Amino acid sequence: MIGDIFAWLGDMENSKPLALILFFSAFVGIILYVYTGKKRKQRLESYKDIPFLDDDELDPTQQEKQQVNNDESTGK
Amino acid sequence: MKHESIEINSGLLIVLTLMVISIGGLVEIVPLFHIEETVEEVDGVRPYTPLELRGRDIYVREGCYTCHSQMIRPFRDEMLRYGHYSLAAESQYDHPFQWGSKRTGPDLARVGGKYSNEWQTQHLVDPQSLVPESIMPGYPWLLEDELDYSQIEERMVALKRVGVPYSQSQAEYDANVEKFGQEMADKLHVSNATQVLEDQAAAEDWDGKPGQITEMDALVAYLQMLGTMVDFSKYEDGHFNQFR
Amino acid sequence: MSTNAVPVATEQYNYGIVKKFAIMAMIWGVLGMLAGVYIASELAWPFLNFNIAEITFGRLRPVHTTLVIFGFGGSALFATSYYIVQRTCQARLWGGSILPEFTFWGWQLSIGLGVLFYMAGYTQGREYAEFIWPVDLLITVTWVAYFAIFAMTLVKRSQPHIYVANWFFMAFILATALLHIFNNLQVPVAWNSLESYALFSGVQDAMTQWWYGHNAVGFFLTAAFLGMMYYFVPKQAGRPIYSYRLSIVHFWALSFLYMWVGAHHLHWTALPDWVSTLAATFSILLLLPSWGGMINGIMTLSGAWEKLRTDPIMLFLITALAFYGMSTFEGPMMSLKSVNALSHYTDWTVGHVHSGALGWVAMISIGSFYHLIPRLWGTTLYSTKLVFVHFWLATIGVVLYIVAMWVAGIGQGLMLRAFDQYGNLAYTFIETVSFMHIPYVVRAIGGAFFLSGMLVMGYNIRKTIAGARQPAAAEGRDAVAAAAR
Repeated sequence: MIGDIFAWLGDMENSKPLALILFFSAFVGIILYVYTGKKRKQRLESYKDIPFLDDDELDPTQQEKQQVNNDESTGK
Repeated sequence: MKHESIEINSGLLIVLTLMVISIGGLVEIVPLFHIEETVEEVDGVRPYTPLELRGRDIYVREGCYTCHSQMIRPFRDEMLRYGHYSLAAESQYDHPFQWGSKRTGPDLARVGGKYSNEWQTQHLVDPQSLVPESIMPGYPWLLEDELDYSQIEERMVALKRVGVPYSQSQAEYDANVEKFGQEMADKLHVSNATQVLEDQAAAEDWDGKPGQITEMDALVAYLQMLGTMVDFSKYEDGHFNQFR
Repeated sequence: MSTNAVPVATEQYNYGIVKKFAIMAMIWGVLGMLAGVYIASELAWPFLNFNIAEITFGRLRPVHTTLVIFGFGGSALFATSYYIVQRTCQARLWGGSILPEFTFWGWQLSIGLGVLFYMAGYTQGREYAEFIWPVDLLITVTWVAYFAIFAMTLVKRSQPHIYVANWFFMAFILATALLHIFNNLQVPVAWNSLESYALFSGVQDAMTQWWYGHNAVGFFLTAAFLGMMYYFVPKQAGRPIYSYRLSIVHFWALSFLYMWVGAHHLHWTALPDWVSTLAATFSILLLLPSWGGMINGIMTLSGAWEKLRTDPIMLFLITALAFYGMSTFEGPMMSLKSVNALSHYTDWTVGHVHSGALGWVAMISIGSFYHLIPRLWGTTLYSTKLVFVHFWLATIGVVLYIVAMWVAGIGQGLMLRAFDQYGNLAYTFIETVSFMHIPYVVRAIGGAFFLSGMLVMGYNIRKTIAGARQPAAAEGRDAVAAAAR
């Protein structure tokens, strides 16, 4: 039985279905991994905030506000 | 293994990405190097003579491939317009291949012999003088510039290194006699190259300037050879379908 | 300045190198598109070749493709990848000041030398890889340095997770290295000769070249610009990407599938049938990750659609995604063998490439630059109105271009395969050339629209940077503004 499986795997003729099975199961694996688990969902989706963790440079609109604040504080 | 570890380990990300992007290329390209199945065996296909080779260099230099293909597809209209569809064997000595990707002008895979040398020269110098609607640029400098063939032997040796059967030793020469006949084998022998080139340029009036070897001589010699190597009348109809 | 402000970004990050690449991207972009408009005009009015070898279509066409793909696109990618990797890793660029500088000069020198050599008649004769072998070597060294800088910056990051934009950039760097090396295997005529012959020939060479050619599209012109998209779309929208999980699936599927599809450029040729069938199949599959990415980008704006009315930068980014969606639908369709029989060798292909290149690549870069440049120089954009003007010039240009090429390509394809009642060919080749004259004129006009948009951008950016360099004047303006309040 196991010998048969190995024989099938070793046959070059079967390389196409074999590749299909491998790649497709890898794909399904990734989908399942990514879209299951509540905790994992929370963790993965938390990464989308990374571009915003670094807002030291100022949004032009905020810059104006801050400038105004600064002017006010120095004015007093 | 957790996907998390890929996300936080840049080395692992690099390795996995490399693996994933390599598969497609490997599967499609590597088998093509089993040459027997990819390129059919056909009589007549031979390496280019020194003059044709220089002509081909000029073809590449001027970027002819940006407007002309050298690959006839197996469709009725193309076979009526250009001739028998192109075989893999016919470009087996093309380093690089010049199949092209765009036909702003017609396909040139079998342009050899369709027009006279005089027509080709005139057309290259001033295309609109023969085909008024043509949008091809003129190439008058080809008729002015002397052909530089000082490095012809180096060129043939370089091509030999990548697999074109030009001969240097006696054994290689003998093999070429066997394969292409004595007359052609002489032309493909590296140490004869300069003489062979000059003889071929003088043998026929390629560009209407007999005393001079111009770039036009080489380019016209190349164009007149294109697609003429295989004698299709020797093969039965449909013979080549088995290789598709 | 208040004392508790975070250290100025220019000190925390290496912005100097980003600025340089951004400016060169603009310069190459204008020059490359100028070359494009010129060769398009040569096809409409062939006298423009003037019998001058250096500017004939055959020599100038690689100049155009090299300047826009590697000059404009490449420099834009260096700029944005260096910016994004620093900002999302919160780490300064690795390699000190010298190595990034080396990548800058190496890259610019390669582009400049490369195109001058084409005009002088030195080319490898491989589409999109025409660089002669010494330039190829310079590119290789530059690219290794680029890889080292990018990878080491990832290693020294202070953010535990690697943001997805960097994955796309990494895939782009690796794939480009692989493609560049294997497609440029050449044997020089002599060590002191600029000329060389390809290692492979015929079928194998064709397959290698289009494996390169299509993956240059897939990784250079798509994956890397998706990296740009995954950072600048959320930043400009002020809201995170629609689905991070979708971006993970998007990444792996795209990286895997793209590498299989190159052979669809060789349908019906002497390439064995099984290869082109396989390529066509994967081309269809590729639609899924492509559209997944597009949806991810566009949906980021869901709930904030009104930004499209007021923010021309957002308009650029979202329109780029729309064009991306369109051309990634058109592409798989054209890779079907029956469609390809008609479309191949015609201007339909040229139109398809430009809906991707102008609509997607250029527009996403332009949008990103309008976001990036004021931040690099710590200022605000000189004129938002001019960005609107640019947007409309660019959009009209792309639409004219694509429509003209559909007409030319499909028209020519149909004419070439038409038969009369006796079974003879209905048209000669030259009749199809005459037919294409008007589409060619329209295409050149479309290109000119797009180029003029770039010039407007150049002016706007110049003014923006000039404004930033006069802090006194800026302060004065602020004071007035404050007083007015």
